[in-house]
Amino acid sequence: MKFLKLLLVLLFIAVPLISSAEKAKTIDELAKMFDSSRCKTCHAEIYSQWEKSHHARPLMGVRGGLMLTPLAMKGATPFSPDNPQKATLKTFPCFKCHLPQAINYAEDSVAVELAEALIAKDSAKIGKLKITCIVCHNEKAIVHKLQDGNPEKGVLYGTKEVASHPDGTFKKVKKSAIINKAVMCGQCHGLGPNLEFDNPVQCANLYGSYLHNYISSGGTQTCQDCHMKPVNGKADHLITPNWDDIPQTTELLKNAISLNVETLGYQWLLKAKTYVPKVVVNTKITTTAGHRIPDG
Amino acid sequence: MTAKTPDGKEIGKQSKHYHPQATNEKDEKMLYGAQVKVANIRDTSLQPMKTKAETFEFDLPEGVRTVDVTVSLIYELTNPEQRYEIHKITKKVSLDR
Repeated sequence: MKFLKLLLVLLFIAVPLISSAEKAKTIDELAKMFDSSRCKTCHAEIYSQWEKSHHARPLMGVRGGLMLTPLAMKGATPFSPDNPQKATLKTFPCFKCHLPQAINYAEDSVAVELAEALIAKDSAKIGKLKITCIVCHNEKAIVHKLQDGNPEKGVLYGTKEVASHPDGTFKKVKKSAIINKAVMCGQCHGLGPNLEFDNPVQCANLYGSYLHNYISSGGTQTCQDCHMKPVNGKADHLITPNWDDIPQTTELLKNAISLNVETLGYQWLLKAKTYVPKVVVNTKITTTAGHRIPDG
Repeated sequence: MTAKTPDGKEIGKQSKHYHPQATNEKDEKMLYGAQVKVANIRDTSLQPMKTKAETFEFDLPEGVRTVDVTVSLIYELTNPEQRYEIHKITKKVSLDR
């Protein structure tokens, strides 16, 4: 009996240790857990595209901006802790999309370290947190979890099966039902207000706009059709726009949005013998995008 | 959009903003920032498969019969300092047709 008690005590102690061991306690540990740098050995072009993408700097906004900083500042948002040391994963609802791996694989201590780094404007540390290859090709690759199960450890998901994938950890590639569908992107480029949090958060509305305005108007293209057009036969993982590349983004916007201007000059008769010289400018703006502009 | 006389004097300026506008649904103030926004209350964005048509009018001052109208379509990202000029069209408009 004594032995059984001891065993139970040991089990109670051991179980939390095992589960916490699977979670990162620091930014470095989380970054290492999802590090995809070895992917470039075989997928150099795709990796190089991704490195320039916003997915490679999801907490850095545009032009290096640290857009999560208000969440670490007392009183700045409903989520902000009294001080950075009191931050938890719940302090950062943005993790849902900007760092989805944190939800299942990070301890609250990662949130504390991030809050401190934000206050200290430590871009180098924050820049380690990325939406890497593993996030999309494993963690986010399955949405029909009741039917297809959770993403398997050691398996990547892509557009086709690869029986033998030459990697020490991910030795197999399975076909994802959604990776080339709009819903893949819709997981984060969202529907509207996120009402599941203790305080609502509204970030991207883009997938909602796509479903309710574009598809409902007869649109047929997917997000990937426009934003991941093949380069050398493979989907472009830059996933334009890269807002830091002003000429390229301007060109992209120019191709998607047209402006037509027509003018008229005449004398408007306001009342008898009272003419008002007037210029009329008619503008027409048309977009070929599959979503509202602007959105994200 | 600006209207200028041939010697460069600005006689009118107008602008339109196209974007979703959200509050925290607790008061009437529009907010920026996902952490504080709760829902759109107005949406003037460019919508897919739809053309946004507008009419602007400038009354010309006495003696002015010709103006250069310049229309700029600019994408302002997160704040007005981060801008991408998509189109810029200038047209000379005269009453003397």
